Amino acid sequence: MKKIFFLFLATLPFFVFAQQKPAQNDDLTGLRAVGSPANPKVPMRWNHYNDYAGIMKFCQDMAKAHPNLVKLESMGKTFQGRDLWVLVVSDFKTGNADRKPGFYIDGNIHSNELQGSEIAMYTAWYLAENFGTIEFTTQLLKDKVFYIAPSINLDAREDFIKNPNNPNSPRSGLMPFDDDGDGEIDEDKYDDLDGDGNIVLMRRKTPLGRMKQDPNDPTRMIPAKADEPGEYELLGYEGIDNDGDGQVNEDVAGRYDPNRDWGWGWQPDYIQGGALFYPGTLPETQAIKKYIIGHPNIAGAQSYHNYGGMMLRGPGAEEDQQYYNPSDIAVYDVIGRTGEKIIPGYNYYVIYKDLYTVYGGEIDWLALGRGVFTFSNELMSSYLLFRQKPGESNRFQNDEFNQFGKYLLFDDAYVAWKPFKHPQYGDIEIGGPKKNYIRNHPGFMLEEDAHRNMSFTLFHAHQTPKLDVQAITTKPLGNGLTEVTATIVNQRVIPTHSSHDIRFKIERPDYITLKGATPLAAMIVENADLNITKEQKTNPATIEVPNIPGMGYVKVRWIVKGSGGKYTVSVDSRKGGVVEKTL
Amino acid sequence: MKHRFLPTGLAGVLSCFAVFFQAVAQTPPAGSYSSSALLSTRLKTLTSRYGALTNLQSIGKSREGKDVWLLTVGRGAAAQKPAIAIVAGVQGAHLAGTELAVQLAEKLLAASGQDSVARLLDSKTFYIFPSVNPDAQEQFVAKPRFERTGNGADTDDDRDGRLNEDLFEDLNKDGLITQIRVEDPTGTFISSKDDPRVLVKADPAKSETGRYLVISEGTDNDKDGAFNEDGAGGVALDKNFTFDYPFFTPGSGEMPVSEPENRALLDFLYKAPNVYAVFTFGPYNNLSEAPKFDRTKTARRIITGILEKDAPVGDQVSKLYNSQTALKDAPPMPPTKGNFAQTAYYHYGRFSFSTPGWWTPKSPASADTTKGKAAAKPSDNDDVKFLKWADANNVREVFVNWQPIEHPDFPGRKAEVGGMAPFAKLNPPVSFLNEIADKHLKFMTAFVRQMPVIDVVNLRTESLSGGLTRVTAQVINRGLLPTGSEIGDRVRFVPKMKVELRTGNGQAVVSGRKRILRSPMAAGESMEVTFLVSGTGRATLEAGNAMTGLKSIDITLK
Repeated sequence: MKKIFFLFLATLPFFVFAQQKPAQNDDLTGLRAVGSPANPKVPMRWNHYNDYAGIMKFCQDMAKAHPNLVKLESMGKTFQGRDLWVLVVSDFKTGNADRKPGFYIDGNIHSNELQGSEIAMYTAWYLAENFGTIEFTTQLLKDKVFYIAPSINLDAREDFIKNPNNPNSPRSGLMPFDDDGDGEIDEDKYDDLDGDGNIVLMRRKTPLGRMKQDPNDPTRMIPAKADEPGEYELLGYEGIDNDGDGQVNEDVAGRYDPNRDWGWGWQPDYIQGGALFYPGTLPETQAIKKYIIGHPNIAGAQSYHNYGGMMLRGPGAEEDQQYYNPSDIAVYDVIGRTGEKIIPGYNYYVIYKDLYTVYGGEIDWLALGRGVFTFSNELMSSYLLFRQKPGESNRFQNDEFNQFGKYLLFDDAYVAWKPFKHPQYGDIEIGGPKKNYIRNHPGFMLEEDAHRNMSFTLFHAHQTPKLDVQAITTKPLGNGLTEVTATIVNQRVIPTHSSHDIRFKIERPDYITLKGATPLAAMIVENADLNITKEQKTNPATIEVPNIPGMGYVKVRWIVKGSGGKYTVSVDSRKGGVVEKTL
Repeated sequence: MKHRFLPTGLAGVLSCFAVFFQAVAQTPPAGSYSSSALLSTRLKTLTSRYGALTNLQSIGKSREGKDVWLLTVGRGAAAQKPAIAIVAGVQGAHLAGTELAVQLAEKLLAASGQDSVARLLDSKTFYIFPSVNPDAQEQFVAKPRFERTGNGADTDDDRDGRLNEDLFEDLNKDGLITQIRVEDPTGTFISSKDDPRVLVKADPAKSETGRYLVISEGTDNDKDGAFNEDGAGGVALDKNFTFDYPFFTPGSGEMPVSEPENRALLDFLYKAPNVYAVFTFGPYNNLSEAPKFDRTKTARRIITGILEKDAPVGDQVSKLYNSQTALKDAPPMPPTKGNFAQTAYYHYGRFSFSTPGWWTPKSPASADTTKGKAAAKPSDNDDVKFLKWADANNVREVFVNWQPIEHPDFPGRKAEVGGMAPFAKLNPPVSFLNEIADKHLKFMTAFVRQMPVIDVVNLRTESLSGGLTRVTAQVINRGLLPTGSEIGDRVRFVPKMKVELRTGNGQAVVSGRKRILRSPMAAGESMEVTFLVSGTGRATLEAGNAMTGLKSIDITLK
């Protein structure tokens, strides 16, 4: 009997659901899997990487298919003139989207780190396609607005996809520079010697070399043991000495880092490799900066990179540790630690401590320059291959990519070694990992990691402030005066102002306005029980509070003439949105 | 703040000023500084008069749409010759720098007929940026006049979410924004004993108690307790550069190089590899006394002190400055955070020198020793010193005497308006700058004559058998200054010292690097290069870079 009762309970929601939403699965030849849109208006396969045309088409299709949920904007132009598309995703029929707490997402600032774009696109797609189906995301679009820029380095992404490259090139953008100081620009690029679209490695068989072929896996080169002779030497990536200066591939397209071009803690190239003239040398940085400053409602942000399986927070440099104080770190900890559960194998890390020093990075500018709680995810990790952490059973082997390539990708991931006659090096062989392997997800893994990373980001977005006027109470004071007290709560973890923001007054205070009466005096209630208050001497109608803390509240009080009025309290917070309640 | 005011009756004054500088058709009225319109006119006049030696271009527009001018002076292809950059008016309140930069150009061009100057103009380029912050400088001719450093950007200076809500008010209607003092028991200022006009902090150690509250001239429009804390006048460009940038301080902007004016300046400079050194006219002085080498400042990841090899160069140039200008007794004027001159050294990687050009000259010691009086110790207060100099030299309108007013925020209280006139302390009457400009021209030309000169000497060609030739030569820097700064050797956008053997058809370098890139060469330093070349005919050995100029010699391979 008990069992049957539980069974009934467990199935009850489905009955209710089925009655409310009939015919959900009509277009499917089967059953909708939980958590995925059954018949999306914009059909997408999440197992490949999109070029500029693909991204643009997706953006346009989304805006067309979901006119009440998705709007397409351009933040500006790239160096080569492409549009920096941003999808604005919100329930535009509920509230004023411009005033909702905003969440900014971008990907692909490093052009070889492709999949951030697909994850950003997946997020926009998932939110819009599930609107009305999944209660949580539906409510999220009522409460929030998302600004999703799939790629902020479109010129070099196009180069990476369309032109011969290796997994690491280009990380830069494509603004031409003289990399080797000889007065010539981009004069010695990589050369696709065999014309297969991949820039792979060059090796030469020689008894002078200290490398050898892995006896277990011919795709792999390993160092010869200390006491045994080597067979090969490695000669770097495919290329020739195009300008005859005795160096190979020393001035390729782009040698700068768009993620060292931002206006917090910026340092020049000799301190921070990859920096340009000043923060914002690149047109892309300028456009994004302008867009973000133009949307002061952005309360959280996420940037997608690869590689390594990390959820990173700032600071990028040890010098800036002082600007992350305990109350802000506590917020990051809540989100980061939840992330470690949501994305197995990903670690919640601090950039300068656990990765390396970054001066002038994008997320430092967002976090410390704008006061926005920001994470940067390093997508893809070797853990995902066999769900083993390095150092468990495969210690010192470090061959999981080769093994994975063999057993799960059926040798599609590597260019097998083949002979080539090199103009400078003579008889060599070329081979190695293809440009779309190692750092970028294999196709079948992309959707899962997109979903997990999106879930982490949605958790973060969900924690941006949600304000409510919880209570308005009145108390007669005699002499025809009434005391009106309002309690404003923030139902989420993220405060309306980070404590760094409060310290440097980055964003204006939150405004709490009493309408329907003429206040004679206004005050912030510091302790309601002991009646400790702090008066605001000017403009009593609108009380300014420096912050509405996460999972916390502020109490404000007015003394008004008369009694029994119809009091309305409205809250206007840049990052917390606008709410209003009438007593 | 959009008030505009152009001085009227300019033409009449101009003609009388032309007596001083006969070479120049139009000059500003004595005692006054140029509006941006007049500055443009002066620059255009120069270019029309010296068309073959000048080029005027607008490198960008200020926030308020004014041109940021670059006057290029020199003969021939400017970008192909070693250059110095002369930058003024970054700190908007420093009008004297702009005037000096323009006069420098005028005087240099006026002397272009002399052989030595002509040679200078043939071999070097002068990039002159006379006014990087025209929006701020225009406040000198606008009403009310206040000492402005910010450009025309809208900034929320007190970061309270309201824009420009507490501007100055010209309470005594004299066209100038000065100060207000209010007698108040909580005040911390008293009148100086040396000059009662000047207010100084009361010093409890001398049993002094405060008498005055001191605020700027205006009312507390937004009733926040602070006076005129959010007025017009946006980003102070000399706080908005990348080195030691002071984030979130009034006037520094939201991030470094956020403004069109300083972007335009840096974009030009970073793309001009031929700039050897940068001279700034502004309120920072590293010329009267050069900064010292301090290892603790250079050993860290972020370098904050002059590098070891650059320090003696700074000394050398400082000596040159002091000897050529004969200017003495400069008060210490340390750099402010985020300024241009330091950014030009630490980040742009060029030797960077800065001087205000003019400062309050030391007054002669009091001669009043009659009746057994000991000579009064001169005050060390800048305002007192300045006013003493102004009185002695009959310089007027530098101080507004305190006069009572009714201040609405202090009803029934004794309030007075007065104080130093805006712009006065940094900028003497223009007539005082003529001689200063001559002295600086002398210094600048002396500096340019010390710049590196690359030569290739002791060339030897040895024919070996089999069509091989060994080429040996010495490359020497015959100038009195190094070929570049030590800091520049670390900066990616500073050209390396280059030696290259340019081979002809059928020739090949068999041994030795065809192209050698190296760090700067000190004054007098030489290096030997040797190449083993196969083939015959003419080859060229070339040495130098954009900052030093190139020296090439032809070699015949037999």
